[in-house]
Amino acid sequence: MLTLRLPHPGTLVAFAILALVAGGFIALATFDGGTPTLFSIGPYLGRVLAFSIIQATLSTVLSLALGIGLALALVRRSFLGRSIVLAALSTTMVMPTIVAVFAVFAVYGRSGWLAEGLAFLGWNDGFSIFGYPGILIAHVFLNAPFVARITLDGLNQIPAEHWRLATAFGFTPAQIFRHLDWPVLRTELPGIAGLIFLMCFKSFAIVLALGGGPSRSTLEVAIYEALKIDLDFGRVAWLALIQLVICLSMTALLHWAFTRPPVGHTIRSLVRRPDADNRRLKSLDALVLAIAALFIAPLAVSVLTGLRNIPDILEADLLQALLTSLTIAAAAAVIACLLALALASAARRRRLVLRSPRMAAFYDFLPDTLLAVPPFALTAGLFLLIQRFGDPSSAGLILLPLINGLAAVPFAYRFVAPHLLTVEERYGRVAASLGVTGWAKLAIMDWPVLRRPLAAGFALAMALSFGDFGIIALFGGTELVTLPYLLYERLGAYRLDEASAIGLVIVLVAFLLAHASGRLSHAGH
Amino acid sequence: MLVIENCRLTWPDFVADYSLSVKAGNLCAVIGPSGGGKTTLLHMIAGFETPQSGALTFQGQDLLPLAPAKRPVAIVFQDHNLFPHLNVAQNVGLGLRPSLRLTDDEKRLIEETLEAVGLEGFGSRRPGEMSGGQRQRVALARALVSGRPLILLDEPFSSLDPTLRRDMILLVDEMRRKRSVTILMTIHTPEDAADVADQMAFVADGRVVASGRPADILNSALAPRIAAAVSDS
Repeated sequence: MLTLRLPHPGTLVAFAILALVAGGFIALATFDGGTPTLFSIGPYLGRVLAFSIIQATLSTVLSLALGIGLALALVRRSFLGRSIVLAALSTTMVMPTIVAVFAVFAVYGRSGWLAEGLAFLGWNDGFSIFGYPGILIAHVFLNAPFVARITLDGLNQIPAEHWRLATAFGFTPAQIFRHLDWPVLRTELPGIAGLIFLMCFKSFAIVLALGGGPSRSTLEVAIYEALKIDLDFGRVAWLALIQLVICLSMTALLHWAFTRPPVGHTIRSLVRRPDADNRRLKSLDALVLAIAALFIAPLAVSVLTGLRNIPDILEADLLQALLTSLTIAAAAAVIACLLALALASAARRRRLVLRSPRMAAFYDFLPDTLLAVPPFALTAGLFLLIQRFGDPSSAGLILLPLINGLAAVPFAYRFVAPHLLTVEERYGRVAASLGVTGWAKLAIMDWPVLRRPLAAGFALAMALSFGDFGIIALFGGTELVTLPYLLYERLGAYRLDEASAIGLVIVLVAFLLAHASGRLSHAGH
Repeated sequence: MLVIENCRLTWPDFVADYSLSVKAGNLCAVIGPSGGGKTTLLHMIAGFETPQSGALTFQGQDLLPLAPAKRPVAIVFQDHNLFPHLNVAQNVGLGLRPSLRLTDDEKRLIEETLEAVGLEGFGSRRPGEMSGGQRQRVALARALVSGRPLILLDEPFSSLDPTLRRDMILLVDEMRRKRSVTILMTIHTPEDAADVADQMAFVADGRVVASGRPADILNSALAPRIAAAVSDS
């Protein structure tokens, strides 16, 4: 007798994601509007690609240099407020890009602090932040602390015994760097560098706001402009395809080459570094800390100045936008968590029950591929699909949570997947012998262990989605306004005071959510 | 002769005050409950901890003013003795020259020492490719190659299985006889070293409670405390 078995939810989700992406692309490519040839957009594409690569390379190199220097200085020195600096480093992970844009305007803009300071000194020659300067400042501001944070975590994993050996052998500072610090850097950096390059390569909000001209745009911005200004769906399809291929190959490279198994917990080395007393290193570290402080502190403080302007923006449209942002972010987080849960449980089944590590690896990789999909192209494709089948006026309300949710899947997945594996390894056999399967297994075995990581994933997904200024740039308008969109509008109108207050609200909510996520994910250990 | 006289170290929640003498060329097994101060004793001799008062001499030389690298002391830990990015020969070579600029003679010496600990031809291996017992042999070779007359072994073989542990202790005994080095070794299971050690010291609550011939210590009134310390973890 033929029995029809429903496939595993994870399998369905995987197919749904692939179908969604493929459907979007097919809708774009087959849109009836005279598809341009790759040749016709060639020169433009070449310029955009060149700019994307150059700015991403420069951003990566500068972020790595400042981040590594900062990490080494922080690990060698102790000073008043060090713990605050460490805590602040972690927060930039969820710093919304549009807020970084505001900070760059506030400090380096036409009427920013630097320009005012120089004018005060009688220096009125205006300088422009548009183009490379603004983009690089924003990218380094967002990424250098991230590099420092990851590098610090790596350096803290060096076992205490190695520091004692270094002392016992009388290592010089150079030998300490060679045998203790450098091996850590060498294993961590390729992965971080790749990730930062990828994020800068597909940077959107920063390049849109600070690019300052059509020749200075990333592929992501080019796709947006083709959509919003030219309505040229054929060009969108081409640009998106190229973006997808480049980002997907980079993601694959990063995923396969640099994803290492998580290291077991080691006792943090509390042993004093023998190179802490070296005079030259002391001056070097002081210099690095000073540069980092001079660069990062004003940008960070500029956001805080929004506090005094908050009364000015307490209007109906702000509260409405806050509510809209929270709703979209919550919906996106639900989508992200459900998809991550389905994919992670499919991966677990393949790995532990069906003993098929290759398929499991595919499920592990799928969330990361979502980082490579150009959101605007996907949005445009899905918009065309919706248009074909129904009323497109409400498309934004569906697409915003969906696209943001998809983008947050890799983050939620990282919270959920390891815990799901642990539960199965511990109780899998017991459950099998008791005959506990399916939903019962999920409720009895998985849920108690999964509750906290899932909540942590939810909070982080919500934080990321809340501050996102991506496809809202397409849908934003009188009908649909999120806080980041409101901020972008105020920036465009050069109303920096109001922008500062909105930026502060965004940052506060995003940081609170990220903080909750951190607390939740650490509480179990 | 290693002489420790009333070396006092204080922390907010722990006070140690050590007095102990070990004859040159002897093997002294240090036993006692975990958290009792065995490791701190070794760390103090190596120079990682500095006593506020007391005297510490080896062969008449005052060790206290010397930096760890200048002391006639080599140390082997329970774990993480080797740098994973260096091969076995380089890891051993660090005991001779931290710069790793080794002469041909030094390279030959490293080969010979590896041979002596039963690792002939392992020089180009990475620590990651070796078993726990092999890695501890490398660490021991490094301590020996440095030519330092006092070797401290901090629970060096506790993570190995009993048979292997016994083999390693016999190797340590053989090495110290051939090279006439003085050895202080903390161990968790006293019976492993009862027949090879010349001296046994029972350390608890930051003090050397008793020290003497292993048989005397193991059969003394301390026997129940020693048994409790072993079964403790």
